[in-house]
Amino acid sequence: MKTSYLAQALVVCRKELVDWSRDRRSIITLLVSSLLGPVMIGVMFNSLASRQRQVEDVTVPIVGAGHAPALVEWLRQQPGITIADGPADAEEAVRSRREDVIVVIPENFAEQFAASKPAPVRLVADSSRQNARPKVERVRALFQRYSSELGSLRLIARGVSPVVAAPVQVEDIEVSSAQQRAAMILGFIPLFVMITAFIGAMQIATDSTAGERERGSLEALLINPAPRGAIAAGKWLAGTATALLAVLFTGGLLFALFQYIPLQDLGLRFQLGVPQLAGTLAAVLPLVPLIVALQMYVATFAKSFKEAQSYLSFLMMVQMVPGMMATMNTMTTKAWMYYIPWLGQQSLMTDVLGNKPIHPAVFVVVAITNIALAIVMVRLTSGLLMREKIIFGR
Amino acid sequence: MIAIENLHKRFGDVRAVDGVSFTARDGAVTGLLGPNGAGKTTTLRMLYTLMRPDEGRILVDGIDPVTDPQGARLRLGVLPDQSGLYPRLTAREHIRYFGELQGITGADLANRTEHLLALLDMKAVADRRVAGFSHGERTKTALARAIVHNPKNVLLDEPTNGLDVMSTRAVREIIRRLKGEGHTVLFSSHVMQEVSALCDTIVVIARGRIVASGSPDELRTQTGHQNLEDAFVALSGLEADLAAEAPGAKAEVAP
Repeated sequence: MKTSYLAQALVVCRKELVDWSRDRRSIITLLVSSLLGPVMIGVMFNSLASRQRQVEDVTVPIVGAGHAPALVEWLRQQPGITIADGPADAEEAVRSRREDVIVVIPENFAEQFAASKPAPVRLVADSSRQNARPKVERVRALFQRYSSELGSLRLIARGVSPVVAAPVQVEDIEVSSAQQRAAMILGFIPLFVMITAFIGAMQIATDSTAGERERGSLEALLINPAPRGAIAAGKWLAGTATALLAVLFTGGLLFALFQYIPLQDLGLRFQLGVPQLAGTLAAVLPLVPLIVALQMYVATFAKSFKEAQSYLSFLMMVQMVPGMMATMNTMTTKAWMYYIPWLGQQSLMTDVLGNKPIHPAVFVVVAITNIALAIVMVRLTSGLLMREKIIFGR
Repeated sequence: MIAIENLHKRFGDVRAVDGVSFTARDGAVTGLLGPNGAGKTTTLRMLYTLMRPDEGRILVDGIDPVTDPQGARLRLGVLPDQSGLYPRLTAREHIRYFGELQGITGADLANRTEHLLALLDMKAVADRRVAGFSHGERTKTALARAIVHNPKNVLLDEPTNGLDVMSTRAVREIIRRLKGEGHTVLFSSHVMQEVSALCDTIVVIARGRIVASGSPDELRTQTGHQNLEDAFVALSGLEADLAAEAPGAKAEVAP
């Protein structure tokens, strides 16, 4: 009896998977949902990294470099700075956005400099251009440093301590550093993984319940002697398989992506290596069967595919709450949270990605709890399939 | 063999089935004839285990579907009121799916499938997805998957409804064949010609009650109408209802 129960469940599971694999829409949904996270995270990191690199590696076009060879030589020696010849019409070049910033050294620079008078240097820039600003700031800071270094030397030559000339010392403390922004982006990983699991499960969870009702195929299916439990379990297994596929796919993509993201450019020590990937999957995969079971239970109440989808969209927003709270840093992890589905996955993933050590027993307990709850949900669903109101309800 | 005794089912205030009793014998075709909303579908649903009677008793080959639904389902092949198919599966896959759910596997299942496809003249479309099927092809697919396990008792809820001539013929052919092989065939219809052409026994049902039963000849004698259609109209009390709405008409709309 037990083997036939399993055999029947597998028959249903295989049918649902074949049916699913022929639905182009469901395949596209799965692909898009798996790609969503890696692509968004990749784009965010890339723009962050390229902005960072832009500031670090700056090419400075100089007009009239011959007027101040010592200054230009000093600039050339600064890390990340490349000197180029400036265009004839500096202002036009900046206005037409061919350059972000151009340094113009006037003819009288050497003369003024030799006379220990302020020697003029012009920075041609467009302050209305947001993304050019860090670069302009960088160049300006270089000149200020050059200026104050020389000023100090001149004071020392005259027997005055340079400290006298600096009554106020300004110290910058940047709160929104690139590192912090990068850490925030990393916080999105658990959220995306959970969304993928949910969407990956949705197609079969709705099609095999509400969809079956809407098509009018449920009645014929339930007249078969296969036990209701086996039918519900088969559908659950099929939904779980597709959701697992989606999670593994997105996990693999994230893993591949992080081999290419120049995290070190952002000054991050974070790595998405094999242990992090394994930990993330170990945290999320046991939740997948529960997600599917819950979706199926809810969708069984719906009379149509559309109705089921609107219930599930709401459910998805609810399941995203812990992830959203975590990315906004309003959630502090407490010990009990690990054992609550969804909250637990969020906490575990955050720890795994933050390289915090976790006792393996926690993973085991979380997995057992989630799967046990999933089985309870499947039982409840098979109970629903006995109700006349569910089978014939319109 | 199917025996029904004093069956009752109500939905709210509507008595959909109100004391129905009849017997469908082996090797005979029994027709459940009645206007829309008479309680035919509800009676069949209780028979094929998806609805629980409020009162009364059903026996399918001596098995009570209420206490042993699994046992009853093994002895039933049903073309239900709603026999939706899976658009992305082929006809052959539908037959195979239901065969496997009945516990049939391997070569046995393949042979039965081939046999049914040949019988219903469906070889040419067997491996096409049913999404593009005509109504007739759909009904034949649903019929084939319903009887793949060669059930002793076959229940068909309005099997020829909306079918073209060729498909109707194929379905009638199957019904005669099943009868010849000694099966119990019970089908419902609201079409007089359908029932008179096929049935050994006709059970006329109206407003949840049996108003007459017997062979076509017996019904003619009973009512004094030579024309069976006149007999049907007289028996189901339709004449009286022509002015007023039939209260039983809601029964098939409500769950």
